[in-house]
Amino acid sequence: MAGDAESELVARAQAGDHRAFAALVRQYQDRVFRFILRLTGTRDEAMDLTQETFMKAHQALPGWRPEAQFRTWLFRIAHNAALDVLRRRQHVEFVSFADLPAGAEEHALPDPARQPDERLADRQSVELLERTLRELPAEHREILLLRELEEMSYTEIAATLGIAEGTVKSRIARARSAALAGYQRHTGEHRDE
Amino acid sequence: MNEQSTAMHAPDLPELSAYLDGELDAGERGRVAIHLAACPTCAACLADLQALSAGFRALPEETLGFDLAGVIEGRLAAAPRPASARRRRDWWAGLPVAVGAAASIAAGVFMGSALVTGSVATAPRMAALHVFDTMPPGSLCIGLESCYAKGGVK
Ligand SMILES: [Zn+2]
Repeated sequence: MAGDAESELVARAQAGDHRAFAALVRQYQDRVFRFILRLTGTRDEAMDLTQETFMKAHQALPGWRPEAQFRTWLFRIAHNAALDVLRRRQHVEFVSFADLPAGAEEHALPDPARQPDERLADRQSVELLERTLRELPAEHREILLLRELEEMSYTEIAATLGIAEGTVKSRIARARSAALAGYQRHTGEHRDE
Repeated sequence: MNEQSTAMHAPDLPELSAYLDGELDAGERGRVAIHLAACPTCAACLADLQALSAGFRALPEETLGFDLAGVIEGRLAAAPRPASARRRRDWWAGLPVAVGAAASIAAGVFMGSALVTGSVATAPRMAALHVFDTMPPGSLCIGLESCYAKGGVK
């Protein structure tokens, strides 16, 4: 949806036009659902949280301003909702949401001897990749979802997560490094050097 | 000089990753490109990152499976107190932050009870709404500065 048309819809929704808000929901419902589902992992819960996200968004509409991108604003609400659920499940990795200390900032380059590109294409690889994604710490999973699935820019991701763009850059790199390591570990279980 | 600059500008992973995402400025991008042309190790690393990215984008896309928009529209229409944007804005403007947060909780609880038509889902849903309760006021989306793109969006 073009930015102008969308802002117009949001403005109408703000003025109390339920139909305009429903159009926004229709535009984003599957994407928000997908994001929450991959974060929380359970379909029923993700359906509830998706609905809750849109109700909260409607409630918060008076605070929306035309400078805001509706998508990042909406995903921030979805992020908060999912984060809360994960916290209550005592997902420790989400409680310590801050970035790792300085010593952990070193990024090991993935082993170039491996060739995941040849393997990612087939179906088995998709399953391994799903598994890899599920096993990542939530903050890594989340930032990869925003980047790879939502195709957000670093600026948009920073706005969605409420972090600095420099943090986005380093966290994405760390997440990719962890994902590659996880994926290579899974595929490596069946192949020795 | 060429060899020296190639060695000097070996990109780290965040740089390669940002290169893949098209998030480097022209100067950085040029330096990384020059290095990649001369360094098979970094080129292989970039290929890994590209493959990973392609893999994620190829993952099956789940869908909700029903028209949530219609459900939401029905719920909004059925709400006893139609949301008047102006009135709501006045509320928030006039209240200190802590009271605003409390109002959120109240609205959330109302939302929760309106949601539930006698199902088991009550408890988790109500609990989920405590998000307003446990988060510092700065985390509320209403009026939060970081919710707004600060220009320069590609
Ligand atoms: Zn190199």
